[in-house]
Amino acid sequence: MSGHARARSSCAAAAMLALLAAAAEAQPDGAARREAPPVPRTADGKADLSGIWIATGALLLMEGEEALQAARDADAAAGRAPQPPPEPLPYTPEADATRQQYLARLGIDDPMARCLLTGVPRISFRPLPFEIVQLPERVIILYEIHHAFRIIPTDGRGHPEDMEPSYLGDSVGHWDGDTLVVDVTGFNEDTWLTGVGTVHSDQLRVTERYTRDTFDTIRYEVTLEDPEVFTKAWHVYETFRLRPNERIREYECIQSNEDLQRFERMLKDGSLE
Amino acid sequence: MTFRAIAAGVAASILAASAASAHHSFAAGFDGEKQITLTGTVASVEWTNPHIHFSIDVTGDNGTVTQWRFEGYPPNMLVRQGWRRDVTLKPGDTVTVFGWMARDEPNLGAARHVTLADGRKLAAGPPAGTGGR
Repeated sequence: MSGHARARSSCAAAAMLALLAAAAEAQPDGAARREAPPVPRTADGKADLSGIWIATGALLLMEGEEALQAARDADAAAGRAPQPPPEPLPYTPEADATRQQYLARLGIDDPMARCLLTGVPRISFRPLPFEIVQLPERVIILYEIHHAFRIIPTDGRGHPEDMEPSYLGDSVGHWDGDTLVVDVTGFNEDTWLTGVGTVHSDQLRVTERYTRDTFDTIRYEVTLEDPEVFTKAWHVYETFRLRPNERIREYECIQSNEDLQRFERMLKDGSLE
Repeated sequence: MTFRAIAAGVAASILAASAASAHHSFAAGFDGEKQITLTGTVASVEWTNPHIHFSIDVTGDNGTVTQWRFEGYPPNMLVRQGWRRDVTLKPGDTVTVFGWMARDEPNLGAARHVTLADGRKLAAGPPAGTGGR
């Protein structure tokens, strides 16, 4: 290549780079384009949910309001569809009256404050991370809170016949394309669904859908059905965020739980009034 | 003035009801309408779950020393925000604590921020109003 040809070639390359840079700057949101890694896949071709995750809403407590807003901005920049708005609880009048009683008592009856296992889906929203371990025939979720775990078979088996009512229920999963669908039933009546007073019966059935829609996020869609407390199905949505530099630590809730004595005192001394 | 307790009648900013709590709803133990800011000397630190607790000795205008006890996040949440056990907060340190008063105990509070002697302001516990979910 002659000197002139090399010079023309360099000029053309420089011009192309300038055009590309201009195109990148012309993104509608003004954000620099980031080449996100693709969603990882397991050897059998499924989207891999493995990793340490935390609910987006928990960032408020974990890192503050700015981090929460930054996460939402990142979702918009990545072109993720916005999360559906929260749905009101479709409680029967009786269930709503029960909830109002718990709200009036300011949450002192919260099973979680007694260090009892937090049920599904509430355990997914805590400000402590959880790890998903995806294996060919099961998915295991290790929650830092309560040091709890769920083993979710995905080999086609159904719920066992000898289920005992339990805090986390019994989970079985299957894959719908790239989405892990988990059917959870066999609950006791001793957990709340999301917030204060969100009671349920032992007829509760929870369907969770986990979809890793970007490298950094899992879309979490939950359908709750309970003919004893709901007039129709209730839907809850959240986004889980990858925590690449995180590890699951020990969390022993009952170590120094003074809340129960305090709540007893409050009931006696009229602090709730 | 080293002693400053503000029991403000101003309603605390209630954040999104969907915000998670670490262990129980804020309102179960504390009054979001009773803000408090105290400067004192750390007397003890209990680095335990489900909450840390620490006590500070606060000297009033008349020289009287009052001990206040504060509740905060569990250790795992503090560590993730940069706290270190026996390093960040230790007996003898002078700190300023912002938070809210307990409903039932006169010298107990929920710590929101701790400002250290070197000026660093660290999150110590949840905002008032959280815990609806």
